[in-house]
Amino acid sequence: MSRQWIETLYDAFGQSFNVDKVYFESKTEHQHLMIFHNAKFGRMMVLDGIVQTTEKDEFIYHEMLTHVPILAHGNVKRVLIIGGGDGGILREVCQHASIEHVTQVEIDQAVIDMAKEYLPNHSNGAFDDPRANIVIDDGINFINQTNEKFDVIISDSTDPIGPGEVLFTSPFYEGCKRCLNEGGILATQNGVAFMQIDEVTTTAKRLAQVFEDVTFYGASVPTYVGGIMTFAWASDNAANRKVDMDTLTKRYNASGIKTRYYNPAIHQACFALPQYIVDELNSFDK
Amino acid sequence: MKPFLSNEQIQQMADHYGAPLFIVDCDQVRKQYLALQEALPGVDFFYAVKAFPNDAVISTLKGLGAGFDLATKGEVDQVQRHFVNPRETIHTHPIKKDSEIKAALRFGCTTFVVDNIAELEKFVKYRHRVGLLLRVSFRSETAKVDLSRKFGCSADKAMQLIHRAQQMGIHIKGLSFHVGSQSATPATHVQAIEACADIINKCPIPLNMLDIGGGFPVNYDGSTADIYDFCQPIREALKQIPKDVHIIAEPGRFIAAPSAMTISSVVGKAVRGNTTWYYLDDGVYGSYSGRLFDHAQYPIRTLKSGELKPCVLAGPTCDSIDVIEEEIMLPELEIGDLVIGEMMGAYTAATATDFNSLERAKIIEINIVAESGHLKIVG
Repeated sequence: MSRQWIETLYDAFGQSFNVDKVYFESKTEHQHLMIFHNAKFGRMMVLDGIVQTTEKDEFIYHEMLTHVPILAHGNVKRVLIIGGGDGGILREVCQHASIEHVTQVEIDQAVIDMAKEYLPNHSNGAFDDPRANIVIDDGINFINQTNEKFDVIISDSTDPIGPGEVLFTSPFYEGCKRCLNEGGILATQNGVAFMQIDEVTTTAKRLAQVFEDVTFYGASVPTYVGGIMTFAWASDNAANRKVDMDTLTKRYNASGIKTRYYNPAIHQACFALPQYIVDELNSFDK
Repeated sequence: MKPFLSNEQIQQMADHYGAPLFIVDCDQVRKQYLALQEALPGVDFFYAVKAFPNDAVISTLKGLGAGFDLATKGEVDQVQRHFVNPRETIHTHPIKKDSEIKAALRFGCTTFVVDNIAELEKFVKYRHRVGLLLRVSFRSETAKVDLSRKFGCSADKAMQLIHRAQQMGIHIKGLSFHVGSQSATPATHVQAIEACADIINKCPIPLNMLDIGGGFPVNYDGSTADIYDFCQPIREALKQIPKDVHIIAEPGRFIAAPSAMTISSVVGKAVRGNTTWYYLDDGVYGSYSGRLFDHAQYPIRTLKSGELKPCVLAGPTCDSIDVIEEEIMLPELEIGDLVIGEMMGAYTAATATDFNSLERAKIIEINIVAESGHLKIVG
């Protein structure tokens, strides 16, 4: 039997992957990280027993977390990425020629270094983009201390248990609001709702205290197993998520970005949520 | 238990490294583990790291396919350094801080133990990720260390807690008990297994794990413990547990105790009253800490022969409580002579202190076999 890695996110269930070759394994100051090859998903990075990203399906996650807020906004000049050490979000952001500046705040330099070496296609050179400013810091520290403002903030965090925890708290969301220009959008990784519905409920409650318009959108990422992955969406401008098809198509075409999952029709559709999530969101509105 | 070093080897060790020494024999670890496996076929063993959190012991057991029973973040960190598969670990401390739960979860351990409502509530926010064992209390009349006084809910409360957990959306996946360390008879194990079988059969949700704890005894008096015979009634009782239930145990002492001996040397000698006091370079604040914390009395001998006389063995600290044996029969000793403690692997080095800023006994591991490179699972 070949060597296997089993995800330990859930006690009662776990997806397993054949480990064809381990490229890297270490316990860093903040987390336990491994990068290995799997025949189905290519190179995979796992952190603390949880799949973070794979070469084969990362485009779905990174395109959706990046292009939905950017093209919904329509006039993004400045982007802030929190986390995202593998560089996938940065790569997608840098596709937009109209974006003038992007700051990325990653807590662990080791993750960036490993990703550059072992997952080079994720960043695809984006770390060297002259518009990119890479800061090694805790996301909430940066948010609390910076005077800079952004049009879109993307939180590409790890699971809420661990160093990513603070990126799911009210103080972080409040800080993001302060750092957003008027009409700006915050989009965050928010877990697989079918498996952990509490993450949706908790985030929705906290964001609703801070932003006028809060919802989620979804995409199915094969290795984030268990149904659609949700992304939290927060803005003070509700029009941001109701952009019509023509406008989206024009923006998409004008942007010149190449995508494999995202397109304007997906953009519009991804805000449609399954009833089990709608019910959950309604349960505390009343 | 036959000493695993000859007197010549002991003397050579002491000459080479200097006393005090704490010698760990990984062959003994293997023997004990395999003996337990033979005594309880079908049971998976999770070594209770607390008994002796030693890297060579952990790596030896990992090589044999053992799992690990963890109770703290420190123990989590230690097995993580060995790249133990988190699926092969359980966290069994019935009372934990949130930070402890989080550390274990981050490692990938998803099995935890609860025995009360307050503890159950701590898992509400992790409810989608964990599977809990409910610890039920059965007191052993004979255990040296009674663990069912401090922890465990009564059998009649168990069903209530299972029901409560279900309402909270928390998965109780099984039951655990720990009759106490160093049981003289398997009677309480048997009684507990029968009671658990009853709960499992009556429970409206499927319980698929039973952790029968530890308590497998070792003999500190030098006689040979027959674990196969001791476990015979346990084997019988386990037949009552439904086939789908995964049965596990958490041996600590049984594996660790016979796997270490200590070598101390006489550093002082005085006649007080009619008795000779020998002062050693290891004592109850060091390797012999189990004399106090573990209520254990270790077989102690010397390398000398001669007429046996009653004497006192004291440790090296300034404290009056630092006495290993008040009245022990030993031949006349001189300064520099060696004193050997047997069966000293469990709850000894684990609970030693640095009192008086005295260095702890140097730990020497022998018969280490490198970890196998053909692991089926990586964590």
